[in-house]
Amino acid sequence: MILEIENLCVDLGEFKLNGVSLKADRGDYIVIIGPTGSGKSIVLETVAGFYKPIRGKIRLEGRDITFLPIEKRNVSIVYQDRALFPHMSVFENIAYGLKKKERNSSIVREEVRKIAKILGISHLLHRKPDTLSGGEQQRVAIARALVVKPKLLLMDEPFSALDVKTRENLRKLVKKAVKKYDTTVLHVTHDFEDVFSLANEVAVMKDGEIVQTGRPEEIFSRPLNDFVADFVDGD
Amino acid sequence: MGYAMARFHFPGKSVIKSLMDLPIAFPELVLRLCLLLLFGQTPVGKAMEEAGIRVVFTKLGIVVAQIFTALPYAARILYSTFESVNPRYELVSRSLGYGEFESFKNVTIPLARNGLFASTVITFARSMGAFGAVLILAGGSYMNTETLPITLYLNISYGNIGMAITSGIVLVVLAFLAILVFEKVEGGL
Repeated sequence: MILEIENLCVDLGEFKLNGVSLKADRGDYIVIIGPTGSGKSIVLETVAGFYKPIRGKIRLEGRDITFLPIEKRNVSIVYQDRALFPHMSVFENIAYGLKKKERNSSIVREEVRKIAKILGISHLLHRKPDTLSGGEQQRVAIARALVVKPKLLLMDEPFSALDVKTRENLRKLVKKAVKKYDTTVLHVTHDFEDVFSLANEVAVMKDGEIVQTGRPEEIFSRPLNDFVADFVDGD
Repeated sequence: MGYAMARFHFPGKSVIKSLMDLPIAFPELVLRLCLLLLFGQTPVGKAMEEAGIRVVFTKLGIVVAQIFTALPYAARILYSTFESVNPRYELVSRSLGYGEFESFKNVTIPLARNGLFASTVITFARSMGAFGAVLILAGGSYMNTETLPITLYLNISYGNIGMAITSGIVLVVLAFLAILVFEKVEGGL
């Protein structure tokens, strides 16, 4: 078991996570779905270390990381808005995290070129993020997150702001890259296409709780309650 | 201070923010009088004097007066600047292995550089033009605690209009140069 989230409770005043539990094996691709405001992103950001839980545990490869500083977790995050550093080139963005771990600049260059090739952005390395399309920016953000070989990759609606064709291409690229880097993924989405294309496990959230987990076909064919049935039927 | 106000939430934040802004809205003469009393008659002033730090009617008084005049403006610009930088950049930087200070240095500072520079120019311009505070706290004595606005004031008092106008022109030229450099650097950033 690479990730174990156990009875996680987070109190953000106007919103609470109530006893979220989730497990992932190495290489799992878990997609979290649920209505807006159900707490999907809060789960990701708590695992990343941005929020401190009031109860519960997060273990990564058996190590308790619940209160570990963000930078010590080896967990990367990709946002819908990419959050690429605008003052750095694409190369510098991708190399940023790697430079912290690897002093040898030729290895850094080699690793950046490798991930850039996998994600089809080799021709963009000298460009600034604001000159790229949304799809290109998202590929850069994914490259930056993956190149550091995180134990866990968190993706918060990474394809939401993109057109259908770009989303399809990105799903294929992400699938390939994640497999190549042997990374476990937690992916939050509203798009059921992400579930069918990428997930081997799905978690459905409602009001700060996980109401059902299972393989995609289980969730869609055997919903546990009316809420899940309505939700997976109503998209 | 501006960064802390923009990034962290803590009890009494709005009170501290108001205190920071107070010198901007406070009647200038009252504020200067407070400074004179603080560094002269209060236990703070007496303790500093016993420690060999004399502020009232000294050159150090000029620096203190200029800090109190310019700091609220600098803090307000820095607060707005840091608030406009999406905190997500720092969080992403930290998730990539960098500590809080490294993320601040590598990501936030470069993204805030326009605001940092603007605050430097405004602080410089405000300090250079500070008159009331410097006069009250440092005394405005000829060739001792004399800044450009005080030179202008003293020369008007002596009836030396030529020197007063010259001081005024130097002040205007310096202000113009500060804004010009700001425009140039901002355009190049």
